[in-house]
Amino acid sequence: MSNTVRVQPDLKFVQELQQVGGEALKKCYQCATCGVVCPLSPADGPYPRKEMVWAQWGLKDKLVNDIDIWLCHNCGTCSDMCPRGAKPGDLLAALRNMAYRSLAKPAIIGTWMSSSKYFPILMLIPAIIYGFIWSIMAGKLGTAFPLFVAEGHELKVAAEGAIIYGGLFPGDYTIDPIFGAVFAFMVFAFAGGIASMLKGFEGMPRTFIVGRGAEPSFLSCLIDTLKVEVAQHSRFQNCGQEEKDVQRFTGHLFVFYAFIALMIVTSVVAVGHWFGAWFLQHVMGIEGGIAALIAWAGHTPMPLWSPVKILANLGAIALVYGLMKLTGRRSALDAAKSSSNWYDWYLLTVIWGIAVTGIGSEIFRLMGQKVLAYPTYYLHLVFVFMMLAYLPWSKLGHVVYRTVALAYARKIGRLPMGELK
Amino acid sequence: MSNNSILVVGGGFAGITAALEAAEIGHEVYIVETNPYLGGRVAQLNQYFPKLCPPSCGLEIQFQRIKNNPRVKFFTMCEVASVTGGPGAFDVKIKQRPRYVNTNCTMCGECAKAATTSVKSEFEFGLVDRKVAYSTHLFAFPQRYVVDGAACAPGELETLKDACPYGAIDPADTEKTFDLSVGSIVWATGWKPYDMANLENLGGGKLANVVSNMQLERLAAPNGPTGGKILRPSDGKEPKRIAFVQCAGSRDENHLNYCSYICCMASLKHVTYIREKHPDARIVIYYIDLRTPGRYDNFMQKVAADDKLTLVKGKVAKIVECECKSPIVTVEDAVTGIKGEERFDMVVLATGMQPSCAGAKLPVELPMDDDGFIIGGAEKGVFAAGCAKLPLDVMKTAQTGTGAALKAIQNVVGR
Repeated sequence: MSNTVRVQPDLKFVQELQQVGGEALKKCYQCATCGVVCPLSPADGPYPRKEMVWAQWGLKDKLVNDIDIWLCHNCGTCSDMCPRGAKPGDLLAALRNMAYRSLAKPAIIGTWMSSSKYFPILMLIPAIIYGFIWSIMAGKLGTAFPLFVAEGHELKVAAEGAIIYGGLFPGDYTIDPIFGAVFAFMVFAFAGGIASMLKGFEGMPRTFIVGRGAEPSFLSCLIDTLKVEVAQHSRFQNCGQEEKDVQRFTGHLFVFYAFIALMIVTSVVAVGHWFGAWFLQHVMGIEGGIAALIAWAGHTPMPLWSPVKILANLGAIALVYGLMKLTGRRSALDAAKSSSNWYDWYLLTVIWGIAVTGIGSEIFRLMGQKVLAYPTYYLHLVFVFMMLAYLPWSKLGHVVYRTVALAYARKIGRLPMGELK
Repeated sequence: MSNNSILVVGGGFAGITAALEAAEIGHEVYIVETNPYLGGRVAQLNQYFPKLCPPSCGLEIQFQRIKNNPRVKFFTMCEVASVTGGPGAFDVKIKQRPRYVNTNCTMCGECAKAATTSVKSEFEFGLVDRKVAYSTHLFAFPQRYVVDGAACAPGELETLKDACPYGAIDPADTEKTFDLSVGSIVWATGWKPYDMANLENLGGGKLANVVSNMQLERLAAPNGPTGGKILRPSDGKEPKRIAFVQCAGSRDENHLNYCSYICCMASLKHVTYIREKHPDARIVIYYIDLRTPGRYDNFMQKVAADDKLTLVKGKVAKIVECECKSPIVTVEDAVTGIKGEERFDMVVLATGMQPSCAGAKLPVELPMDDDGFIIGGAEKGVFAAGCAKLPLDVMKTAQTGTGAALKAIQNVVGR
């Protein structure tokens, strides 16, 4: 007997896919050019041709559990070479966008992140939170644009003082608890997202690879992924050496390491404040020596010569440089071949927002322009919130999802053709 | 009083058919042809559909009809420089390039022996060189040598003249211009093979053993550069494994955004060439869809029964070569979903037909589609025929030639 499979197309799903960026998918005539020109596609079940036919047939189950959407790094070669203009690269991007929307809970944030029309809501949430803090503090301090002088551990409002953001937005009771909660919320959301993603992968048929030894552990694969794919951006390098590939590789690398630098700075501040100043000095009563050094390193505002501040400034420069490369490449994309969607622009907008307001805050503070400095810093808080709180539902979610998928792919031996040892 | 005569631009199968149909009814007909010979692309084939005849078979009769009909006049090495007037009364300016060889020529070949300069042969699609004094092919009509004056070394023309025992070479020949007054024009400028150098990922024009389907016709033709032996261009060895890449630059918005209709059939025909000459050769045809229109499907069934022929659904998207110059193709079999590399001795790119007038500025303004096919012109008294109109096989080309002749006649008679 023939093993006839009855295809149950999910037409609504096809329409949804077309809306989120896969609008050209019906043009595909299955010539299989894409899977061959893709430098990352494996030999067995190469992508993205099979995704194109699954999408045309509305095979939702296969697509939502497909690991390959994360192995794709969206170099666009498949779309450039596609003879029909079916944009397979855009389809995989659209599938990732669907994953951002549906993997993590609560689903409402996924919906809000899916279209520019909800952008005001997303912005309004942190704007209200920080606006509330600002107005309360303004009432308490007697001005919305205070200048401070330090008296011991206390900050006093003084006409001849300096701009100190921590005076208007105190870390202890406002910034840190809020971001701490946001961070916890984000981690929790990701945990759920990863669990459901891995569950999907487990359910997919797997190839038996002849000559391959025992499957390595997930942890060792994750470490290798972090060392190779993440730290060295090896897959981006595999993507090709054309100008737009190089632009993307450099841009992404700079943005990535800028974030690492800024993360280190933030950690130093947090450790210096909570561990050095609060725990060691205040709770334990240790004075001088190492405790003083730790507390000093994290004390803001930092002098410009502080190594931590230098790292922060370098990070900011790298961030802007990387963003320029990435934005330049994206704006120059040939619309007939690849297009950008809301997820792409949201992320670029928010990171640009963080970079510009971050640098602006520093410059206006140094210039003593309090009327410009505080609103800029306020916007900076809003943008940072927008990046962190909605991270699992944004394109930046790839930081976690793609890393996990790449590690999983290493584990099951799903590597680019020719790379499998 | 309108002019009864008809100009046919292009002396290939469509043009010859149109010219003869009109002339045999009694119209004065002029054929102008850019090549030094008539017969067009058919003359370059080894065999052609539907009956796999050699080109001499059909063309010989046509040439006889031309020779025997005083109403047909033909001019080779010509271009239409300008067209003025309108339907019923065109004044056409023709520019003729010098041939340097007059009617005394007996095709003895002494001039070619005396010639020292060589250039790539256009007729053989660059597979070999030709001398500056040459005959394109044995069956050339008119039976006369050509001298490529532009490529001659200084003084070479005189040497050629001295070498000719019949006084057939005239170094003083120059470009001529003449006028024709006609009532209708048939535009049958045909097609050119899509330039495979554009197919960078397939190594077109770069990899020695990756040839085009038209090059394979020449390799298989008894009057071709190898005397009809299908051999690897790099080392002249007999290929044991041959792959065909269908839709090489066809149905592709980056190249030719349409199907050229006959390439699938051409590759199946090529399988019969190879099978006849190399009974043990293994052949793979990589395709997107095998398009075998109408009765051609029977031919496909017959060829596909060959157990050393494999048909694989999947377009080749990458070809590189190994040190031994053997092409390595990468393809995903879209049925099994497996991607792999395969090494062959020779790869044939089934390139499509591009209208000769694509991208060119025509002396008379005709409506063209985005690909360069002529899609109108009847209201201007110009009737397209053959592959200038759409990609066709020889049989349908002849039909469009007859059709265009009828319309051209109606255009002059009805006035």
